[in-house]
Amino acid sequence: MTATTTAKMADGANRVSLSWFNGWTIGTVLVAMIAVLPIAAVVYISMTPSDDIWQHLVDTVLGLYISTTLYLMIGVGLGTLVIGVSTAWLVSMCRFPGKRIFEWALLLPMAMPAYVIAYLYTDILEYAGPVQAMLRDIFGWTTKREYWFPEIRSLGGAISMLTLVLYPYVYLLSRAAFMEQSVCVLEASRVLGRGPVRSFFSVALPLARPSIIIGISLVLMETLNDFGTVDFFAVSTFTLGIYDVWLNMNNVAGAAQLALVLLAFVSVLVLSERFARRKKKFHHTTTTYRALPGYLLQGRAKTLAILACALPVLFGFVLPAGVLASYSVIHFDVAMNTDFLDHAFNSLMLSSLAAGLAVAIGIFMAYGVRLRNERLLKVMVRLASLGYAIPGAVLAVGVLVTLGTIDNGIDGFMRQTFNISTGLLLSGTIAAVTFGYLVRFLALSFGSIEASLGKITPSMDGAARSLGHGAFSTLQKVHLPMIRGAILTASMMVFVDCMKELPLTVILRPFNFHTLATFVHQYASDEQLGEASLAALSIVGFGILPVIILSLAISRSRPGHEQGDEA
Amino acid sequence: MKGLHIQGLSHSYGDNKVLDNAGLIVPAGELVCMLGPSGCGKSTLLRLAAGLEKVQHGKIIIDDVTVGSADVHLPPEKRHIGLMFQDYALFPHLNVIDNVTFGLLDMAPDKARLLAMDMLTQVGMAAQSDKFPHMLSGGQQQRVALARALAPEPKLLLLDEPFSGLDTNLRETIREETLSVLKNSGVATLMVTHDPEEAMFMADRIKIIGANGHILQAGRPHEIYYHPTHEFVARLFGMMNRFEGVAADGQVETPLGAVATDLADGTPAEVLIRPEGVILGTSDNNQGTTVEVTSSHLMGHDNIVRVRLGNGEGEDLHVRVHHTFEAELKESFSCRLDHEYAFVFPLDAESEYTNTELMDAPTSEEISAAGE
Repeated sequence: MTATTTAKMADGANRVSLSWFNGWTIGTVLVAMIAVLPIAAVVYISMTPSDDIWQHLVDTVLGLYISTTLYLMIGVGLGTLVIGVSTAWLVSMCRFPGKRIFEWALLLPMAMPAYVIAYLYTDILEYAGPVQAMLRDIFGWTTKREYWFPEIRSLGGAISMLTLVLYPYVYLLSRAAFMEQSVCVLEASRVLGRGPVRSFFSVALPLARPSIIIGISLVLMETLNDFGTVDFFAVSTFTLGIYDVWLNMNNVAGAAQLALVLLAFVSVLVLSERFARRKKKFHHTTTTYRALPGYLLQGRAKTLAILACALPVLFGFVLPAGVLASYSVIHFDVAMNTDFLDHAFNSLMLSSLAAGLAVAIGIFMAYGVRLRNERLLKVMVRLASLGYAIPGAVLAVGVLVTLGTIDNGIDGFMRQTFNISTGLLLSGTIAAVTFGYLVRFLALSFGSIEASLGKITPSMDGAARSLGHGAFSTLQKVHLPMIRGAILTASMMVFVDCMKELPLTVILRPFNFHTLATFVHQYASDEQLGEASLAALSIVGFGILPVIILSLAISRSRPGHEQGDEA
Repeated sequence: MKGLHIQGLSHSYGDNKVLDNAGLIVPAGELVCMLGPSGCGKSTLLRLAAGLEKVQHGKIIIDDVTVGSADVHLPPEKRHIGLMFQDYALFPHLNVIDNVTFGLLDMAPDKARLLAMDMLTQVGMAAQSDKFPHMLSGGQQQRVALARALAPEPKLLLLDEPFSGLDTNLRETIREETLSVLKNSGVATLMVTHDPEEAMFMADRIKIIGANGHILQAGRPHEIYYHPTHEFVARLFGMMNRFEGVAADGQVETPLGAVATDLADGTPAEVLIRPEGVILGTSDNNQGTTVEVTSSHLMGHDNIVRVRLGNGEGEDLHVRVHHTFEAELKESFSCRLDHEYAFVFPLDAESEYTNTELMDAPTSEEISAAGE
């Protein structure tokens, strides 16, 4: 009888709600909703009728924006495809001098923001620059009319700049794909009578296709996001158009409408990326790993291979970084006089803040999904990670509109109740910039933390829980220690991306507030590269951090890949 | 009662119903083994008992307290159960002793350490207490996992295929050691496995599960082997010789002789005979059926001999004989039946068994054991 009584008491005491409402779920849904707000705001504003600027845009610039953006995407897409895939194949499958160095050096241009090399190459290649001056000296020309030289500040120039710094995405992903491929399929192809080149086109390339598509999608997202280069080269893309309509024509609705068209481009990219990722799962072949073939290259093939790998590194990193370093030395005093330390502090502070928050929120969301694998939660999390695909200029419009609405709401409320005007509390503050960074880079931290959590078997959770630890204690004692590496990587990636970020920062920053990136943008566009060189060099220096981590990760990723270095 | 009591448990993942009205009792101090093919829902039942899944229909009671039902869910950390996973799930960032003390939350650290060392001594791992899981062999990891699960003195221990990760030789040793540790602790244990031999060795009672968590037969290992009530249960322990016939006068005729049955006259039936139930003798005495040897394989402690019936009809029979038995190819023997190893089942078994009671009602023995 006592037994039944305790049973009843226990029944009552332990009755818990079985609906999906609990702390983690509510929190995750809330965070996701906040992250989606700016995007929703863009869509909403673009639907609100305004003084008919849309018709005006259609009549005047829309066609130009669309065609320029398309040309830019095609150019950068093809350029990064050719450079990325060919270099990846060379360093994964062939043996030639310097291969070991190229393996990581090919990633270096990732550290270069596109706008920085745009300023540098303009400086080098324009009429007054050293290259044309040298040509004039040699051939005795005196005026511009006497010879033809390609104009760097053009669509072609923008394509070259973006290709040079973005090809590492394709390189990274296709290299990972080549290294993942079982050498057995390649050997099977060889035994069935196909040579190395035909095997590449009929086996290796099709197997790597999903990864290559993911790489190209990421490249094109970055292309759409670029503001610094197209602004400086005056190439009329959508991103530039949004900025122009909004700040110069002072028309938010028009900017939002342009942003919406840009989002259509983006959603094609996001969908193709998702589709490729899903397809990738079916592309795994056998699990037998052996040393990759390592075709030994000789003679002309060797020279060509070295050139193919060296040129992207030379033009994408070595040359611009060298020029930047020498400018920094020459103009050191001038550069220090421009409040360099203040700007560096601003950059470090903002980037650390955003990285810390992004990682904390990323852990929260990833663990929330792990705890309750529910459809609603998954959808919300996907929405929250959309930001990485949204160009900074579009997000900036959304953030401004969102924060403006909140500010006005608070102001109205305070005025009505206390007769005090609070003005703009959030707009044009560091909080606004941080919010923008978070929305844009949350996917980066969430993605790497989710992937790392996914590698922990669910038995770990079960074991910890059955040993008396609750959900939070399990996270703290089991998961966090196990994913330390991923947390570090994630915070560093977000940190560096925030350091480089330009369009969001330019639009959202407080008045007279500079980060290294906005400072470089302002001075370099005024052709005062000397003053900006130290700041630019600092951005590149931080940018090298993730390159190091990525190259370490990729060389560890494939068991049994320790050969071919004696070439 | 002390122990685990599961009543009418049904569970689905989406449209896929993995458990249908399953029931089970594990009295304190007993080791009950659920034996069934993969995908039969036995792991789901374990996860439900542990609180890792929420109950959709039915009831789970541990030591008289309802811990799970359609509107009660005691989270796993409050259930005081031990759970051992197929992959052991040792925490890779903690060493052996920290793994074992992980569940000793309310205990002073030095006391917890003493208790954990005591547990580790019981499983023979005290010397490795400072090592990390990746430095241990599979067998050692299994022992640490067992010590970790038992250290908080759980009311119930759940074992999910505890020996499947070990190689054959090691498995037998570890199995014996585990059984002795469990018997010492006297904890109620529910184990799931797909290995019949393992179940026979470990269990006080075996529940054999078919599709949807339906229990086909429950009983002590002896009953399961000698009195299978279902064709599926009879076949669990290896190959069978099979004949078809029709029940007449309380028996079914086979080429090796008649086998008794309760089936009504005229029911189509199949007769399953274990290889050890076919006995070969010299063909001179002219008793039983004559068979001819077609092949003979030495399997270790016994031989598997294939023989063909003298009239050449039907498939070859499998006969298990002692390893000293030597048979030449084409040699003739007389052959008779050991009725202990011959079982009759109705041919249309499907309809027969879906009509049986789904709930595994506790036997009178179980009820009296629970009362003690």
